[in-house]
Amino acid sequence: MPPAQPLLEVTGLTKSLGGKRVVDGVGFTCRAGEVLGLLGPNGAGKTTSLRMCYGFLRPDAGTVRIAGHDLVADGDAARRALGVCTQNDSYDSDFTVRGNLEQTAHYYRPKIDDSAARIDELLRQFDLVDYANHKPEMLSGGYKRRLMIARAVVHRPQVVFLDEPTTGLDPQARMGVWELVSRLRAEGMAVVLTTHYMDEAERLSDRLILLEAGKVRSEGTTRELLGSVVGEHVVMLPFNTPEAANVDAWMRARQIRPATVLTDWHFALDATGLAAFVAAFPGLRYEVRQPTLDDLFLTLGKKEDHA
Amino acid sequence: MSPTNPLFKPAFDWQSRAVLGRHLRVHLRNWHTAAVPPICEPLIMLLAFGVGLGGQVQSLTWRGETVSYLAYLAPGILAYTAFMTSFFQSLYSAFMRMHYQKSWEGQLTTQVRLEHVVWGEALWSATLATSYAVIVCGVLAAFDVWGPLDLHWAWLPLTIPLIFVTAVAFSAAGLFFTAIIPTLDHMGLPFFLVIIPIGFASSTYFPLPDIAWLHSLVQANPLHHLAEGLRRLMLEGELTGHLLAAPALGIGMILLLMPLDLRLLRKRVFGDA
Repeated sequence: MPPAQPLLEVTGLTKSLGGKRVVDGVGFTCRAGEVLGLLGPNGAGKTTSLRMCYGFLRPDAGTVRIAGHDLVADGDAARRALGVCTQNDSYDSDFTVRGNLEQTAHYYRPKIDDSAARIDELLRQFDLVDYANHKPEMLSGGYKRRLMIARAVVHRPQVVFLDEPTTGLDPQARMGVWELVSRLRAEGMAVVLTTHYMDEAERLSDRLILLEAGKVRSEGTTRELLGSVVGEHVVMLPFNTPEAANVDAWMRARQIRPATVLTDWHFALDATGLAAFVAAFPGLRYEVRQPTLDDLFLTLGKKEDHA
Repeated sequence: MSPTNPLFKPAFDWQSRAVLGRHLRVHLRNWHTAAVPPICEPLIMLLAFGVGLGGQVQSLTWRGETVSYLAYLAPGILAYTAFMTSFFQSLYSAFMRMHYQKSWEGQLTTQVRLEHVVWGEALWSATLATSYAVIVCGVLAAFDVWGPLDLHWAWLPLTIPLIFVTAVAFSAAGLFFTAIIPTLDHMGLPFFLVIIPIGFASSTYFPLPDIAWLHSLVQANPLHHLAEGLRRLMLEGELTGHLLAAPALGIGMILLLMPLDLRLLRKRVFGDA
């Protein structure tokens, strides 16, 4: 069966702010039932790209199509198919939890079918029934996030943007949000997620887009992305040992620049490189592991420092 | 201000009404406390200035005739309520919603766009100002029945749309400051720059001194025309050009300020010009 048409199609997004080009030709797609993780170090252009995708910023060039509707030319239809959970808690503090969902429903046309039933359903799904008549300020951080996500999907959108939905939450609340994201995916929504938590990106995303200096640096599954940017294996060893000088010389000869984490060096090697390292230091104690998204950020950080 | 003009079309879109509806819902939920200021403020003003100060001043000369200070003041309070309510709502309340409460951001994640949020704020401020003006009319009517005032009421309902349009203009002025003041601490600036000068140079609380340049200057002040128009209507029963000059100047302010407000607020809210 051919893959479904993407619900989100972003092409050639470009934006300059304050005379500096912060997003430069970014493009990506997201299909129904897919979670797309948008990653990148600070200043990579994630937030600006996302804000253009949901209409907060006007792109200098490029297009955003939501469920086939151009966000500029056919804005109302595109926005009807779009749900947004911003990083800030932007619920309406003049209303209760239920009131927030009811009020949000007023901001959509065509009107939401059976909005009262939809709101009851969301209160149940998001475990908010007991707090339905509470003001949002009374909720814990995790439940505020639940409300924010519930607001974003009250109109049954096809594409949902979640901008750092778990920032500042404790581990239990984060896992609660992960379950909700999985549920949105199971309902067939296309979910675009930004996060600083690498475990979260790995666990939730079907596909990742890595932005660097306003451009798409790489994209694919977590493994593909790590393979292309970091390498196949990561070697960890302490640098305060007598053998460190020899290892340092070995790395310099191969133009390998390790990331320094506390008292350890972390550096990526492909299979051939690892075989050469093993042969060069037979008596050395070190650890070899699979790369993670943390390594990816350390790699990008090194490049930034170098630049 | 045609509904097809792209700058003004959002004022007529359903999204602006949805924003207005949101503010109305919040207001009606607190109607019992929200109605206190528009009832008490004119009451206090009429008692303090009209009865209290009026007891000292007794009467003044207006258009060559002697009128009691209370009678002079009554239409001025009506006009000032429309001005102050719309300006304050679109300044302070809108600033709180935009900057602290983040409810604008919440609305902007939906089918509502910034132009709808801004027009919704302006329309709501004007709606509230007009409704407060109606409440003030009720207080004035009570004074009329009680005895201290003797006002003409026949044509007053006709002025409601004129008050509304003028109030939209004052809202546009309030939104301009919402867009540019950095923090709540700077809220005093528009009060000194707009409310006090416009309020005092407007014939609301006292007749303007006989200074030629001042009389020329106030011709550009919609509040002056609104106060004088309402005064002529309520004290003499005459419909005058002042009642048309107020909304006409108001429309000029709307045409000038709303596009500017939108541009400044876009930069403020989104960081994008």
